Amino acid sequence: MENKKVKIYSTPTCVWCRATKDFLTEHNVPFEDINVASDAVAREYMFKRTGQMGVPVIEIGNDIIIGFNEERISELLGIS
Amino acid sequence: MIYDTIIAGSGAAGLSAAIYAGRYLMKTLVVRGNFGGETATAGQIWNYPGAPGADGYDLMKSFEKQAKDSGAEIINGKVTGAKNNSGCFDVEVGPKTYHAKTLIFAQGAERRHLGLAREEELTAKGVHYCVTCDGPLYTGKTVAMVGGGDASVKGILDLAKYVDKLYFIVRADKLTRPEPVNLEELDKLGDKVITLYSTEVKELVGEGKLEKVILSREFDGSRELVIDGLFVEIGAKPDVFVPTSLGVALDKIGYINVDNLMQTNVPGVYAAGDTVNHFGPFKQTITAAALGAVAATSAYNYYKKHGNLCQTHWKVTSQ
Repeated sequence: MENKKVKIYSTPTCVWCRATKDFLTEHNVPFEDINVASDAVAREYMFKRTGQMGVPVIEIGNDIIIGFNEERISELLGIS
Repeated sequence: MIYDTIIAGSGAAGLSAAIYAGRYLMKTLVVRGNFGGETATAGQIWNYPGAPGADGYDLMKSFEKQAKDSGAEIINGKVTGAKNNSGCFDVEVGPKTYHAKTLIFAQGAERRHLGLAREEELTAKGVHYCVTCDGPLYTGKTVAMVGGGDASVKGILDLAKYVDKLYFIVRADKLTRPEPVNLEELDKLGDKVITLYSTEVKELVGEGKLEKVILSREFDGSRELVIDGLFVEIGAKPDVFVPTSLGVALDKIGYINVDNLMQTNVPGVYAAGDTVNHFGPFKQTITAAALGAVAATSAYNYYKKHGNLCQTHWKVTSQ
């Protein structure tokens, strides 16, 4: 598995955010969880970086994934 | 390997079917699709017996664990095709093909869109279909909800925790479908929610993100309503592409046509949950779970009588 820094921009009630975090936890991937409901600066960053306001947004190294996409997350992290 | 049943979908119907099939000792494969279905995104659920106030996502995780504990195998992916192969079903999940003696379609429904120009372009840029996902992003803002059913009122109750002001845009001239208890809660929000009856959204306006909507009639002297976000809760459309390709018949409003035992017109093929209209518009976790249990029981009864047809065919063709 590749050792890249993983950040999740999420809201507390978002089901796909929770599914993403569950998936990473199941695969022992450490991640930083950023609550964009309460962190306006992070929310603005997310909007500027992705041009949209949907969560989750997953930052893996320099790559961005919008929405819970297991296949793409696995590919970027080398999860088999 | 031939499964005794393959279940498409992992909402309340699919996972309930998996629990029952597993306990009937059927070799069961669940193809997850969108995990948890509508229940997972429903937020808190107060009317599922035995679990008052349960979080929808946690409830579905619990269903899934119970299905696994009952012996069901669960894989990620979506059923993308199915063929009837003389008593067996070949089920495509992306590039892979699985084989089964019976099939249960429980892949739910997709949220209906308004069907307006620029809707797709502005989705997640001010236009949203999931309050539990994106509602908190509008903390302190002004938003509108398009709806009229119970889900839209529940959505408003959730949104009200975050936003400053809410417009509820309702095509009908009164609210008749939401649960009375939710209407009571809506009333308690007072002036925070302004309900615009007999009104529709006709146009979405904004550059890069939604800035305002054009209404079908004037409100406060204007048809323009300036908002930060628009949430849409106008029901769902059943996902029937794969079943219809297999010859499964639909009813007159587009749901999979089933009898009281969830049998479709194709022997060995069953359906449950929001893809069927068995209880009309009353689509709940409890009804989906019940329909899943019935579908699995019917699949089991079919498998006991006819399952060997598939086995025989498989032996002949794989020699």
